[in-house]
Amino acid sequence: MTGTDNQSSFLGRISIRRNQVNAMDGSHEQEIEDLDVFQKQVSDRFADLLSAPDDSPADAFLSISWIRKLLDVFLSCEAESKGMLLMGCDAAQISKSPLDRLIPEILDRVVKALDICNAVANGLELVRHCQRLAEIAVLALEQKPFGEGPARRAKKALVSLMLAMHLDDKESSVQKTTERSWSFGRRGGNKDRPPFGHYKSLSWQVAKNWSAAKQIHAMTMNVVPPRGPEASGLPSLVFIMNLIMVFVMWVLITAIPCQERNGLTTHLPIPKNVNWTQSLAGLHDKIGDEWKKKEKKGMAGLLFELQKMEKLGQSLIEFTDSFQYPGEKDKAEEAAKQVAELAEVCRRMEEGLVPLQMLTREVFHRLVKSRNEILDLLDQTAKSSSPVV
Amino acid sequence: MEKILNAEKSGSFPRFGRRRSKLETSSFKLENFKPKEADENQITRSNLEHGVKRDHMLEQVDQFIENLASARDKSITPEIPDLVEQFLKMVDYRIGTYEMREASVMFGQNQEEDSMFFEAVNRLSKIVSNLDEFILDSETNGCFNRAGSILHHAMSLLENEFVALLDVWKRSCNVNIMDSKTPKIMDSKTPKTPKQSVFDSNPPEMEIEFPYFTSESISVMNRVATAMIFAGYQPECCVAYTSLRLKALDAEFCNQGYENINMEEFQRMEWASQEREIENWIHIVNYCTANLFPVERQLCNSIFEHASTAQRLFGDLATSLTIKLLNFPNALLLIKQYSTEKLFKFLDIYETLCELISGIGNDLSAKDLIPDTSITQRRIGEAAVSIFCELENSIKSDNGRIPVANGAVHPLTRYTMNYLKYACEYKDTLEQVFRQHNETEGSTEQEPKNATEGNGESISTSHFATQLRLVMDLLDANIDMKSNLYKEPSLRYIFLMNNGRYMLQKVKSSTDIFKVTGDDWSRKRSSDLRQYHKNYQRETWSKVLQCMSHEGLQVNGKVSKSILKERFKSFNAMFDEIHKTQCGWMVSDEQLKSELRVSISAVVIPAYRSFLGRFSSHLDTGKQQQKYIKYQAEEIEGLIDELFEGTVTSMGRRRHIHLSHGK
Repeated sequence: MTGTDNQSSFLGRISIRRNQVNAMDGSHEQEIEDLDVFQKQVSDRFADLLSAPDDSPADAFLSISWIRKLLDVFLSCEAESKGMLLMGCDAAQISKSPLDRLIPEILDRVVKALDICNAVANGLELVRHCQRLAEIAVLALEQKPFGEGPARRAKKALVSLMLAMHLDDKESSVQKTTERSWSFGRRGGNKDRPPFGHYKSLSWQVAKNWSAAKQIHAMTMNVVPPRGPEASGLPSLVFIMNLIMVFVMWVLITAIPCQERNGLTTHLPIPKNVNWTQSLAGLHDKIGDEWKKKEKKGMAGLLFELQKMEKLGQSLIEFTDSFQYPGEKDKAEEAAKQVAELAEVCRRMEEGLVPLQMLTREVFHRLVKSRNEILDLLDQTAKSSSPVV
Repeated sequence: MEKILNAEKSGSFPRFGRRRSKLETSSFKLENFKPKEADENQITRSNLEHGVKRDHMLEQVDQFIENLASARDKSITPEIPDLVEQFLKMVDYRIGTYEMREASVMFGQNQEEDSMFFEAVNRLSKIVSNLDEFILDSETNGCFNRAGSILHHAMSLLENEFVALLDVWKRSCNVNIMDSKTPKIMDSKTPKTPKQSVFDSNPPEMEIEFPYFTSESISVMNRVATAMIFAGYQPECCVAYTSLRLKALDAEFCNQGYENINMEEFQRMEWASQEREIENWIHIVNYCTANLFPVERQLCNSIFEHASTAQRLFGDLATSLTIKLLNFPNALLLIKQYSTEKLFKFLDIYETLCELISGIGNDLSAKDLIPDTSITQRRIGEAAVSIFCELENSIKSDNGRIPVANGAVHPLTRYTMNYLKYACEYKDTLEQVFRQHNETEGSTEQEPKNATEGNGESISTSHFATQLRLVMDLLDANIDMKSNLYKEPSLRYIFLMNNGRYMLQKVKSSTDIFKVTGDDWSRKRSSDLRQYHKNYQRETWSKVLQCMSHEGLQVNGKVSKSILKERFKSFNAMFDEIHKTQCGWMVSDEQLKSELRVSISAVVIPAYRSFLGRFSSHLDTGKQQQKYIKYQAEEIEGLIDELFEGTVTSMGRRRHIHLSHGK
């Protein structure tokens, strides 16, 4: 993975430097310099993400491949910042304000992020489910000559798809209208409801009553840029770590179906008028606006492929709904174009979802590992007094 | 409806081919019963006629399919015989008939009828898939469209039935749980007993074990799945299967008392609750390994005939569940420091994961899971190692300055030995854990010594044994250090003997730990103990024996009375003092106690007896003898037998009870 590669080289550099620094015993200046380098890197990486095109199927903004890039960026930043923290931290600092407060806080935040990773993993399974349904629709719609049978088959799959995509909000009116307006089958009624609207079952939940929106809210608490003399050293580094983690988790929640997103905040504590946060703030504004637009409508997520799938799905439902053998040529051509697009979306999902799932798990394991390393550090500094669980 | 009636006229099934009014059709249940007034002969004749017609039609249809399949030039539009249209109408009509029935019991009412239906659907699938390859004109295209429509209709019917049969949970809800609006299964917070099934109160049909399917419904699902897959509806079938099985497995987890917990919540729990969660988790994973997965696999195999499809479907399910199950140990790992006695819970989890991995290992379709599971297992192993090492730290840091009263076994010895004994019950697991640990550490530090290759009995090569001996050495060193807290050398040896003996007994009493420590250790330990014993004898009793020396009593060739008196006096004083003190000393091991007494008696009694025999006559009989010869040899023996009871100081009785009964 890219993240890991970056990590080793960057840390290698810092560690060599650190050894030299230790020998010289003038570490503060070096620390500031390291932080500058790091901030520059963060800024560049997010700028790169910000420059992604809005509507190019290959690597569009918020597409699966974009999210993968985002997670790679996260892994790199995480590795570097943690490395700097571990190297720069000594017993004297850790037990003193403000680190004595900041470090436990970040550990806590990591745990919260882990739950989000799990929620996202569940969400990705839902996306996979959507993909399967869309594939059925494509399979049916690609049939030539196209007849009423395949039309009904496609419609059934697409309606299931729409239902699957909108199960996020519990008693959402969207779901009901979806069901009503697209109800199908000969005899109507509940019996003919597609059997797939049950992702609300347990395995789709992180835990009972768990809410992604609340989780993000809790994570943003106390994430404030350090001021005054603290602004340059480790507190600053910890702030960057926090901010990136919160931001990335927030993006995941907006993009991928997630348990309970009602009331998801669009406010993140990204400092304005600072050089290195500009690209981050840009991304945040862009995604936040998008979220505000789509939130009320109720949707699976901002993930490019999902959005695309939803749009194409709706339009194809209309097509299949009104289809009467042998059909109109114009409409058929129009539909064929959309089917090709939908097929492309499915292909992207087929290609990207498993790697994304693995990457999410990698993020999870990385967070656990880093957290343990920080705990080890605390352990060393407070060996004798630390209470045993 | 007109269509249906027409269809019926032209090509209905023989057994049910009697003309039926609308009313009759809708009340389907009646149609299996023979109308009372019906003329038997007429029915038979009509059935025969219909049978002949049907057979003829099917033959024609098969021939048509054959022609389509064997046609070389697919650009020539095939001619579609009229009988094919009739066939389509017949199928459509039959679909309508089945559709009237209650879902989940559509099939199985009449085997023959079902078979004919499935055969008809298969023929229809063949017609559609074969026609698909031709270039069609508008007329044949119309037929193709109708065939496609009817096929989809048939598939919808089959899918509905598949779903209805598969959705056991929903069916059972329909029966009795739905009534209460909130399904019990969701609410039950603590249905911890594994056997307590939600389906308990349901009709007998539901009393079968997970996955709660009768063999009949499995065979219907198999037929349906086969027909759907044959018609190219495999994706629908698989999506429905995966979704519903996931749901069913969720319900089963719930049924088993398992609930997802989020990391944050778990981290905040008290150990007691965490422990309960661990038990729960172990239960559910074992249940998965031993029951759920094999049963699920079997179900999958019996519904899906294609091995690869079945394997993929099962693999997906197992993956999805396992990944969720792995969240738990990961949550456990978030807590950094666990106290030593939590080792065993971690080892339980480790073992559970081992079994899960070997369970997955047998299953090719879920092999992808192994890396994830192994990572988690490895981490749990690491945690176990660090907990075990915590024991070393706690021994090292046990620096109490107050000696245990009466030289008794130190609590640390008891704790450590009981801990080790218990740990040895997990010796294979610990061996694995330490091996893994040493491999990760680059195995620089603790390359096991005495590697004798290919000799399974050479336990000394074991990583765990090395670790265990390290702990024992630490304990030895610590006990040795503690022994120096005793000012009196004799008591120091008693203390060393007590503790050494305790260790030796613990080791010998358990074959597990004995195997791990090895023979050498016991031999060495025994010889140490003999040395302590000798030292004790020397420290305590050599001076006493000196009193009874036959040397130095004579002055100018005569036994000096005053020296003799002095000797008796000091013997009495010394012996009394020893008796007084050492009665209070504690030797809890009965055998050790008796060995000590026997050996003391063996030295003291003969010496005393001989001294008495040789010199008592030198004292004046009567008063003097009474005054100086305080004890007869038998009395001395009796008094020696009172030693080491720990009786004098009441402290002795209340010794370290808590740890002495550790498992």
